[in-house]
Amino acid sequence: MDPAGVFATSFAKDQALIRTRSQAVALGLFVIALFALPLISEVRWVAIMTSMLITAVVVMGLQINTGLAGQINLGQAAFMGVGAYATALLATKGHLPFWLALPIGGLCAALFGLVFGLTAMRIKGFYLALTTIAAQILFHFFVLNLPAKWLGGSNGITLEPAQFLGFVFNTDTRIYYLCLVVAFIMIAGAYGVARSRHGRIFAAVRDDDVASGMMGINVVRTKVLAFLLGAFYAGIGGGLWAYYVRFVAIDQFTLIHSIWFIAMIIVGGMGSVTGALIGVFVIRTAQETITIVGPSLVENFSFLSGDVVFAVMNIFLGGVIAAFLIFEPRGLMHRWNIVKRSYRMWPYPY
Amino acid sequence: MKTNRAKLSAMVKLGQRGALLASTLCLGGMAQAQTTYNVAGLADFTGPFADIMKDMTGCRRAVLDWWSEEVGKAQGVALRIKDFDTRYDVAQVASLWPGIKSELNPVAVLGVGGADTNALQQRLPSDKVPLVQSTAGYGFAWKGDNWVFNARATYPHEAAAFYVWMQKKSGSPVPLKVGVISSEVSPAYVDIHKGVEKFAKDNPKIIEVVETIYTEAQPTDLTQQVSRLVRKGATVLQVFNNTASVVATRRALQSLGKTNIPIVVSAHNGLLSSGKALGDLSQMDGNFEVYGMAMAAEGATPARDFFEKLRSQYKLQAAYNSACIMGMSQAMLTVRAVENVVKVKGAGGVTGEEVRAALLSTPMPTERSFGLLPNIKFNNDAPFPTSGTAVNIGTVEKGKYKLLEQNVPVPVLNKW
Repeated sequence: MDPAGVFATSFAKDQALIRTRSQAVALGLFVIALFALPLISEVRWVAIMTSMLITAVVVMGLQINTGLAGQINLGQAAFMGVGAYATALLATKGHLPFWLALPIGGLCAALFGLVFGLTAMRIKGFYLALTTIAAQILFHFFVLNLPAKWLGGSNGITLEPAQFLGFVFNTDTRIYYLCLVVAFIMIAGAYGVARSRHGRIFAAVRDDDVASGMMGINVVRTKVLAFLLGAFYAGIGGGLWAYYVRFVAIDQFTLIHSIWFIAMIIVGGMGSVTGALIGVFVIRTAQETITIVGPSLVENFSFLSGDVVFAVMNIFLGGVIAAFLIFEPRGLMHRWNIVKRSYRMWPYPY
Repeated sequence: MKTNRAKLSAMVKLGQRGALLASTLCLGGMAQAQTTYNVAGLADFTGPFADIMKDMTGCRRAVLDWWSEEVGKAQGVALRIKDFDTRYDVAQVASLWPGIKSELNPVAVLGVGGADTNALQQRLPSDKVPLVQSTAGYGFAWKGDNWVFNARATYPHEAAAFYVWMQKKSGSPVPLKVGVISSEVSPAYVDIHKGVEKFAKDNPKIIEVVETIYTEAQPTDLTQQVSRLVRKGATVLQVFNNTASVVATRRALQSLGKTNIPIVVSAHNGLLSSGKALGDLSQMDGNFEVYGMAMAAEGATPARDFFEKLRSQYKLQAAYNSACIMGMSQAMLTVRAVENVVKVKGAGGVTGEEVRAALLSTPMPTERSFGLLPNIKFNNDAPFPTSGTAVNIGTVEKGKYKLLEQNVPVPVLNKW
């Protein structure tokens, strides 16, 4: 809900993402902070943010596919892998510049996703989840068993840093800015999808696909489109990952990564673009905190050995996620909306 | 006036003596002080290798403590290690590494395996830090001008050394028939069997690979698959995946009544850990393990003596097993390289670049590692020793682990 005195007088205003002056200021400061990060912080935080931005792009795709359209997808890491491999191949064998290799890599992932979107025509729920796990296995199988000359096989693919007009993205700071710009574009796209006609159709199919069909919505097309878009986002994230690490191999895109992506949208809030970003931030921060705090604990408390500290901290992390599922299954975004509404309604209860 | 001059002269002399004394004391102090350099220890406390990590990291640390105290002190250098949990996850290594580099400015990084290599191999040349691995090498990393170093040749190299030895020992002109149990869960496993298949193709008089079987990550029953290998006449089964695969293969052979067909395993899924998983080491009777570093055999060996010294004098709390030996080996390779740098460049001249140069330029004879490693000589064509190195072969006899053969030469292999 909007603050008192703020009301939309046109459809455009009703759909606006930024609704108050303070929201615009906050967003502006946030964007400035993101661009200034490499100037004001250590390279450690820059690297962590780079990894968060890449993950955010992938998770955003999953949010569109699963959160918005309700199509369960446990193969997002495979779609990411397809994007990474396609980008790497286009860059190394096709000698395409990164600004071409990256979107084409995304399209390749989208095509791979389309195959699984077609299965969503007939199945849903657990059956669809199983089918998307097959995407994970097929990706693995193809890479390892097709001739190594095609996809690199077990050797993986090594690629050179991204270049744009002679500017080489070969340092942590430069690759951060590249990821930041691409992530901005992709996030803006996700917001656009969410509040567009397609976004409303996705939500309708998610909530009741039978009723949606009876209302005249092309359910098959909607489900396929959801997979196509979700996989495209994953492919773009994969392409960024390929340019970040400059080496792609199948063990970088496993089922466990897909499960973490799901955990991120659950913690952030299913169906919300902002929720996906929050989920990525919270989970990645928790993971990084463990890896940063752990060594210091081991060093300062010599009676604790490394295996105990790290195991306990990971159990703690798992416990936090489990607690979320039990006490706030609608995610942090839902909780934030409750707090915001209470603040705006105060002193009235409703 | 004269008196004043004499006083002044006396004061100047006193000042000079004071300065001399101060500088002498200062220099003496400097000679005793140690310049401390950092080494980053990548570890997997919460991933697939969590069970062996305590021993591996403990043994790494103890070697660095030993070296700093007994070698580095005289050279004016100390090494300090800080461990970081990577969960054996490429993404975690990639995001963690820039922070490690800026925080520690390490002169070397000790890795666990493929995940570290995957994440860092492309950026280490610009970061100028060598990565020293604990495992055997991989074919997919067989490239020149490397910043990643494996103390051991590749797994196929080690397996080939075993097959050459075993074929010769059989006294028969017939090649060994090898059944390979592998898995596609990791590109590393695929790399291993591809290397062995290439060796078989190049050396048809030594081995013939009857079939390569793919299993899941943690197989529980391989009876049907092993039965197929037996029907095809396999005389030895190679299982380099993990302990679960060894256990399932051994159980299958037991249920088929074919325990006379030996299994050959490596360090990470060795006889001791597999025997422990089977409930009793005697269940691994007649099987072999092969790798290019010291074996965790009972009895006095230089490596064992060194381990005992670390345990008694350097607070090492770890079991003497292959994980510990892997940790000690990679740490030993690193400290010896640092030692060589200090000899040439002095205590202040240790950098990652110099450590890499020392690894490449200075061979390490086995005595320098207390027998933990065979003679090691790197060249710029590969990240692991491709010739002049050796393996040890262990077995289990009547429930007792036994070091069967030492310094079995590793043959030269073609790339696969």
